[in-house]
Amino acid sequence: MFRHVLCKLATETGRIQLSVRHAPVLRAVASASVPLRGFSDGKDEAPPPPVDAALLQLLVCPLSKQPLRYEPETNELINEELGIAYPITDGIPNMIPQEARLIRKDAPAEPTQG
Amino acid sequence: MAASIRLFFRRAIRHSHRNININFAGSLGRSACGAGASPCRCFSDERSTHFGFETVPEAEKAKRVYKVFESVAQKYDVMNDAMSLGVHRLWKDMLLHVMHPQPGARLLDVAGGTGDIAFRFLDYVRSQQERQQRRVARSMQTPSWDDISNNYSTEDEAEPQESTAVVCDINKEMLQVGKQKAEQMGITTGLSWVVGDAEELPFDDDQFDVYTIAFGIRNVTHIDKALQEALRVLKPGGRFMCLEFSKVTNPVLARLYDAYSFQLIPVLGEVIAGDWKSYQYLVESIRKFPDQEEFKGMIEDAGFYCVQYYNLTAGVVALHSGFKL
Repeated sequence: MFRHVLCKLATETGRIQLSVRHAPVLRAVASASVPLRGFSDGKDEAPPPPVDAALLQLLVCPLSKQPLRYEPETNELINEELGIAYPITDGIPNMIPQEARLIRKDAPAEPTQG
Repeated sequence: MAASIRLFFRRAIRHSHRNININFAGSLGRSACGAGASPCRCFSDERSTHFGFETVPEAEKAKRVYKVFESVAQKYDVMNDAMSLGVHRLWKDMLLHVMHPQPGARLLDVAGGTGDIAFRFLDYVRSQQERQQRRVARSMQTPSWDDISNNYSTEDEAEPQESTAVVCDINKEMLQVGKQKAEQMGITTGLSWVVGDAEELPFDDDQFDVYTIAFGIRNVTHIDKALQEALRVLKPGGRFMCLEFSKVTNPVLARLYDAYSFQLIPVLGEVIAGDWKSYQYLVESIRKFPDQEEFKGMIEDAGFYCVQYYNLTAGVVALHSGFKL
């Protein structure tokens, strides 16, 4: 039984290695355009949109489930209705309500939920 | 005499805390939280929950879980391999095998952390696509004139459905590790990373074909809310799949498993990740999680149909699956 597990382990890792090796080749052939989601390390000029459009279309505010607006200057996702902005760090949007920034001073403070 | 009775009760309570017998401890904990007639009532009027074998206010649990994963993030994958002797890879492969995703499927991997499930999903779907293309090519070996003319007209829709995977986790550090892995593996398209709370997903209704949560749901403070959110974001016909540590059915193996968990795993945690307490939490949280049948009931309560579970490795891990119909 253990030999079977070991064989399976060996073949699994072998298969994963093989497919991983193939993946970059496929990717090079398939993707003609360099991804917009660039490497966000030290770009002084206009930084490339760090979050790709497909993901932005998918995201909504976790509190109100309303669509969000992407603000390129501050690199945040803004919910106009509630007046909160979700930050995007290193290309990863942070959609935790407690981490969101209040935009308007008079915006109703959302009760922090666990 | 009253004093001795009090002593007896105190010892019994201490015993029950130390007792590894899950069902007893689990039901005790839950009934205490539900009925409210328990020592936990001393925390103002906050509900309390379990953090491993400790009882903590609910608001605190999320923070402490966050700290646990923040500290283990860098060594997470290494520890997984060490603790399970590599078997976690087989469990995750089994999840994909049961899922059997088709090209064009959209996956949401909650508590996906370092992205193991998402990577496997993309691999699987891509190899499925290759297999389909090969099959089409083979059947096109001797095409008729009709086939050739059809082929010319459909050539522009090269990839009509692109499978995408979204990895959502409450912990930024885990996602950073996962993102680095993705960059090393050269995966650029079809994979997104989002910081989000499983109890309040930042996605609209009816978005995903498959929702997976692997070894994450026991860390969620309100499991029922997470299940409701899962139901919400799945498309009708979508599948909910959950891999989680569960109850070992065989009593002999259960004793061995307990000994292994409590003696060896925290030690491994200290040696490899330098963090005894996090891994102590991990093995305790496994004991507090409901067993296979109970969790199946919770999934059904949330509104999923055709809920079933598969025991992997004699019940060490259970794979629960349900459909949104």
